[in-house]
Amino acid sequence: MNARVLTNEFAKMRHLHVWLLVAVLFVVVAGIGLYTAVINPDFDRVTASSWNTLLGGIGSGFSLAAPLLLAAIASRHVDAEHQGGGWLLSATSGLTPGGLCRAKLLALGLLVTGVTVSASVLFAATGFAFGIDAPWPAGRWIGLTLCVLVVNLVVLALHIVLAARIENQLVGIGIGLLGTILALFSTAVPAWIAHLTPWGYYALSSASGYVDGVLVAFSPAYASIAGLGLVAAVVFALFTRSFDHQEI
Amino acid sequence: MSLIVATEKLTKKYGDRAVVQDLDLRIPEGCVYGFLGPNGSGKSTTMKMLLSLIRPTSGEAHVLGRPMDRATRRELLGQIGSLIESPPGYAHLTGAENMRIVQRLLDLDDQHIDFAVRTVRMQDQMNKRVREFSLGMKQRLGIAMALARQPKLLILDEPTNGLDPAGIEEIRELLRRLADGGVTVMVSSHLLGEIDKTATVLGILSQGRMIFQGSRDELFSAATPDLLIDCSDPHRAQGALARAHGCQLENSTLRLTGIEDDRAVAGVVAALVGESIGVHGVRRDEQTLESVFMGLTAGGGL
Repeated sequence: MNARVLTNEFAKMRHLHVWLLVAVLFVVVAGIGLYTAVINPDFDRVTASSWNTLLGGIGSGFSLAAPLLLAAIASRHVDAEHQGGGWLLSATSGLTPGGLCRAKLLALGLLVTGVTVSASVLFAATGFAFGIDAPWPAGRWIGLTLCVLVVNLVVLALHIVLAARIENQLVGIGIGLLGTILALFSTAVPAWIAHLTPWGYYALSSASGYVDGVLVAFSPAYASIAGLGLVAAVVFALFTRSFDHQEI
Repeated sequence: MSLIVATEKLTKKYGDRAVVQDLDLRIPEGCVYGFLGPNGSGKSTTMKMLLSLIRPTSGEAHVLGRPMDRATRRELLGQIGSLIESPPGYAHLTGAENMRIVQRLLDLDDQHIDFAVRTVRMQDQMNKRVREFSLGMKQRLGIAMALARQPKLLILDEPTNGLDPAGIEEIRELLRRLADGGVTVMVSSHLLGEIDKTATVLGILSQGRMIFQGSRDELFSAATPDLLIDCSDPHRAQGALARAHGCQLENSTLRLTGIEDDRAVAGVVAALVGESIGVHGVRRDEQTLESVFMGLTAGGGL
């Protein structure tokens, strides 16, 4: 893949409201996350639990907003190929359907990375702005950000694959909706159940949570999320390779 | 005469069903090749195989002197423009934005794009979104996308589909101009009339098999027109000839099919004279190219 192919993917986003959806993702994550963090009684601006409420806010913001919005973003971008005969146009210009999917993941992935990192920075900046006395937990903060980013990219890749394979985009949106429910319930189920779907990994990314009514610091499930990222990368590579060999 | 496309026993099967069977396509360089056949006869599948979008079950295709396969496809596609099925175009973007996408895909300079847009006479429409285009404009944009790489070979799958007579004539005129400019054009249609006047070589496909390939004149000469006989007693003549020939009575004229040479014609006349039936006129039916085409595709071959 070259820069021209990537530029094309950004060019196709014009008038598709992809940027708007990305902005909505940022606003919803920030709104939900900051609201739930700041109104939390544990947000006392003194102890480390204040940072923990903000970390929890990042997790809950993304697990609530990302599954559906990532589905919508992928769906709109891929559907343009179905509607505009883009698969054939690209194939007859030497860009295979699998290559087109990879370009889409890269282009949309850059936007999602931007949103994830920006939201993380915004939450940290909010903590500093409130003057929290406890030291900023840099390790867990960066770890949570990376974990959420990996889960976001995996969910995005899944929806790109779904949107490319299934022309009816309602299917992808429906699965996104289901993903939101699974992401929410995964915080309340045993960890092994959370491992079963990509959306469950939002819960496994948590860097803080309540144990017996007390807010405590967690370490995100790095190994599980690294495993998810690896498996998803292999599956996505295999899918796009098979898509390359599929007859159009 | 060098060939820009040549296939050897090209076959595509889905399960037991052969969509294209043992196709030996021969497209001379610089011609307009009319690829004809009823809907479902295998035209689009053949074109897709020529573009390596579909892998043949057996046989091979040579395009621009090289085998067309996954290894050569990327390089060859840089010299082949194509419009397969419906015209491409991102509806939410303008014509100009669509052309820029093609420009980046193929790493073309601005002159290539300007040339293609002017060739299809779309230069005044490029700032409109494609969703506002008429079908004819979409077809022309699709052809501009195919032309942007300044191809040696242009493959167009039913480019006049859905167009009004003026649009069809405009596409015909465009194909003539392209051929005059040295581009080899392969154009498919299920209607002979649409490409009859433009094509210099015709290939007719029926049920996945090539049933004719050659010039317009060769097509005429290869198909034997019916023999029409006017005589003094048509009913008795029909009875006399029905035993040996397929014979129908139309008004008071006898129509005999499959009478190929002059000796056979003389035999028929002698048979009628032998029955004391006066023969007033013997002539061949006047055939349009359309009727030849219909006869060929309905009957499955020459």
